[in-house]
Amino acid sequence: MQETIVRLKAKYWPDHLLGEILSKRWTETAIPVIVLIIVAIALGQAIDNFFSPAALADTARQAGEIGFVVLGMALVVIVGGIDLSVGSMFALCDFCALYLLDVLDWPVPAVIAATLVCGGLLGAVNGLLIGYLHLRAFITTLITLIIYRSTYDLLLFTNSTKIAAAFPDFPSWNFIGGGDVLGVPSVAILYLAVAIFGHIFLTRLRPGWHVTAIGGSRRSAYNSGIPVRRTIALCYVACGVLTAIGALFFAARLGTVGGDVGVGLEVTVLTATVLGGITLGGGKGSVAKAAAGTLIVLLVTNGLTTLSVRGGFNRMVLAAILLIAAVIDIRWLKNRTRIISKVYVAPTYHRLPPPPPTEVGGGGPFEQNDKLREVALIGLGRIEAPEDVILDRHDNLYAGSRHGDIIRFFPPDYEKMEVYAHIGGQPLGMAFDRQDNLYVCIGGMGLYRITADRKIEKATDETNRSIYSVNDDSRLRLADDLDIADDGRIFFSEATVRYEMHEWPVDGLEARGNGRIVCYDPKTDTTRTVLRGLKFPNGICIASDRQSILFAETFGCSIKRYWFGGPRQGAVEVVMDNLPGFPDNINLASDGNYWLAIVGMRSPALDLAWRMPGFRRRMGKRLPVDEWLFPNINTGCVVKFNENGEVLESYWDLNSINHPMITSMREHRGYLYLGGIANNRIGKYKLANADPDFVQYDKRWGKPA
Amino acid sequence: MIAMLEDFFDRILGRGDAAITVPTFDGSLKPNQLLERAEVVGEFEAPEDLTCVEGALYIADGPVLRRLEATGWREVRRFEQTMTAICGLPGGGLAAALEGSEIRVLAAAEGADAGQAISAGGMRAVNAIAACPDGGLLATDGSTGEPYWQWARDLLNRGRSGRLLFIDPASGNVEVRASGLHYAFGVAAVGKDVLVSESWRHRVVSVAANGATRSVLDHLPVYPSRIAPASDGGFWVTAFTARTQLIEFVLREGAYRKRMMREVPPEFWIVPRLCSGGSFREPMQGAHLKTMGVVKPWAPPRSYGLVIRLAADFSPLFSFHSRVDGENHGVVAAAELDGSLYVLAKGPKRLLRLAIAEAKEALAA
Repeated sequence: MQETIVRLKAKYWPDHLLGEILSKRWTETAIPVIVLIIVAIALGQAIDNFFSPAALADTARQAGEIGFVVLGMALVVIVGGIDLSVGSMFALCDFCALYLLDVLDWPVPAVIAATLVCGGLLGAVNGLLIGYLHLRAFITTLITLIIYRSTYDLLLFTNSTKIAAAFPDFPSWNFIGGGDVLGVPSVAILYLAVAIFGHIFLTRLRPGWHVTAIGGSRRSAYNSGIPVRRTIALCYVACGVLTAIGALFFAARLGTVGGDVGVGLEVTVLTATVLGGITLGGGKGSVAKAAAGTLIVLLVTNGLTTLSVRGGFNRMVLAAILLIAAVIDIRWLKNRTRIISKVYVAPTYHRLPPPPPTEVGGGGPFEQNDKLREVALIGLGRIEAPEDVILDRHDNLYAGSRHGDIIRFFPPDYEKMEVYAHIGGQPLGMAFDRQDNLYVCIGGMGLYRITADRKIEKATDETNRSIYSVNDDSRLRLADDLDIADDGRIFFSEATVRYEMHEWPVDGLEARGNGRIVCYDPKTDTTRTVLRGLKFPNGICIASDRQSILFAETFGCSIKRYWFGGPRQGAVEVVMDNLPGFPDNINLASDGNYWLAIVGMRSPALDLAWRMPGFRRRMGKRLPVDEWLFPNINTGCVVKFNENGEVLESYWDLNSINHPMITSMREHRGYLYLGGIANNRIGKYKLANADPDFVQYDKRWGKPA
Repeated sequence: MIAMLEDFFDRILGRGDAAITVPTFDGSLKPNQLLERAEVVGEFEAPEDLTCVEGALYIADGPVLRRLEATGWREVRRFEQTMTAICGLPGGGLAAALEGSEIRVLAAAEGADAGQAISAGGMRAVNAIAACPDGGLLATDGSTGEPYWQWARDLLNRGRSGRLLFIDPASGNVEVRASGLHYAFGVAAVGKDVLVSESWRHRVVSVAANGATRSVLDHLPVYPSRIAPASDGGFWVTAFTARTQLIEFVLREGAYRKRMMREVPPEFWIVPRLCSGGSFREPMQGAHLKTMGVVKPWAPPRSYGLVIRLAADFSPLFSFHSRVDGENHGVVAAAELDGSLYVLAKGPKRLLRLAIAEAKEALAA
């Protein structure tokens, strides 16, 4: 009864999505957005007409003006600096615009251009000093704050009456100040456009990535060849220009220059930036955060002003909100990854019936024997982690190594070896195509091809993204084994889409169908996922009808068949299930049957744990991986089976001292070659009654031996 | 009340007694391979305990009591039942526990009964006997719930029914000196006090005459077992197996534990064992993965071999180990004789011998 509940919950409750959603970068913005919503609702309740169109338009107008400055501030904060001079720059730009318009009678477009240039130049002073001369941002902008403010005051002294006396009346200028499109203020529309561009700039464009990289670590960014000085300087210029835009709208709306223009603006802007969750340390931040921060500050200030709260209280409330938000935000940012690591792993219910007997004297096809005890060893201590082995028609033996190489051993004694190709990732399954190209699945990299003349080419490293997957599953994380159809299409398995290669035990802990089978078509150079939701799909082999593949599901302990062509196209059928161990690679045998490597054996304690997801979740949280209950992959065997799913014979090594682990095997001219991913050797076993001329891929492609 | 609350929060937060951390082998418990490399003196059918009587070494091998002589092992006495503990007595006699529920006193040399069988006191899992200086016998009764052979079940049931018994061989009276011990396995007399191994609490306690217990060696990374006196006043404490975080975790997972005991054959339980690696159906832990043909000796031990030498003030001095990649595991008894330490590794059913002086030199080097 209780087990039924556990099973149903595991089946219908998408446990794993929580971690995947939290892993999304945009959840970093969650806290500011929640604060914003709370503030908006609270003020909406407290004040009548707070959300009336007129009030909203007014708020949007102010938000736009400050918003531009906040964007500029956000940019310099993300790049690792700070700009305290924004208030003074704002005032100077305001003056510049009005002076040009009212006193010098420039046309409006020229005024706009000149003001933006003015802002850019003011920012460039900061940029030069901080970016190129390496002055401290805080001190530098504090100094420019004073200088700019003094300049403004001097200019104001001589010119304020002239500006105040003029009453410009240009439709375009008025549109900037008070116009709207369908009720949306002009400033808000431009802000939206700039914000969208800013978001794309920061998240999708190279210079934006540079900005984030520099803010994260200036030294590393420099070492990676990013033009650090120029980028920083340009950020201050951009900040100046954005401030100038804000000032332009301000000038157009109010048309005044006064002693208090821009005073204290830097504090408001800084508050908005921090409140939005942009860390002052640099390297973290987004446009959405800047916008959220701006809105919070503005709503609170305006709301409190409407409520006739005195100025002092107003600031105090703002400060209190800032404090609370900052504390929550820091805790959230700091612990987000910890929360993710706690909830990401979501074990599910996985029930296997009691396994068939393997004991000596227990009978059945899996009865243990000692046939593999005397395997000869190739490359002992010289090869590390040969997951798969393959031989060509010249009897050369190829195997992967954990150094990212394909190693070639030379016949007849396989003593001499060389690095055949260096790819850089752990090579897993291998297969030859019709033209003798060697296709290799590389863990963490994808599907690669080594041409007959030893050129390394990437075949594919991505597939189509699934619509319903929260995680971006377009990248290949763990391409595992492959085989090639008659038309050249390559079917390969990807063991899991939720974890990296070295994290396979976590996938075993979850025991969810996280894997898939992917098809790569070299003719069109396209990759498509053909099957999803498989429990660690591993070995793949084209079946005798040439229209289907046999594939192994390691943690599903089963072999299945999938038709990719012919009348049953798309169908999946179980060939064998409830194996006593974990199936790995499948390869053709000389008599037309199939070899299957069983990499490890099931243990009753783990079978039970697989039926208790809660137990495994707590185990995953509380124990280090080294202490976890594991699938036993120290002992394994090789079995031969036919397409009807009957096991014909099995090959064991009871003590598994000589050749501990078997992840793959390949028959070649009367011998069976064994690979194991945790081994430092390749096994060679003489088969009785095997075809002495059998070369797998010559037979596969119909070439004479 | 406060203690209860503390206990409650400990369990929620995984602190204190509910923590699943395991102390490391450090200091005087720093690992070595001396026990693994020790000389193998003999291999037996079902060895259980070891003792010295007047310069001769006796071993309880299932129902057979054997003595080491110049010519080899001589059968001294064969019982109908299996012995679960033996102990040499000051007068040259020998006491043996049968099936954990009966104690016999023998005249050692010819193995004849020297008194009537004692079976009072509801003895169920007597697993160690020691001679008391005032003439009585001290014995630990591991559990009143499970028989001697079912100690793993007692651990999984979080057994706390171990007892220290005082037996008067003359009258056959059995007196309970201490009870409620978390599996008592190993006893030695120290003056008026008694040293007892409390296995499931990973400690050695000293029990006073009035039954008050005091921990003298705790936070061990192992489950201590029998205690043998050393020649210069200290003690040899054996450890029949070591702790792992997985087992500590399973002990706190009631539902899994109960289902495991119900549905999984005992040899494949997640529980400490005297030997391991015999079957691939045993539970395997992450670090047990053989990499490049090597099992790491620091992997979490399913079985382990350890003897700790205690000084007369019970502080640990040094220790002999057989680590995870070794075989001499499940050390249940030790006996010092003529400068040599004889160690019974119940896992591989071997009797081992270490020359103490040489071993100490190897440790110092």
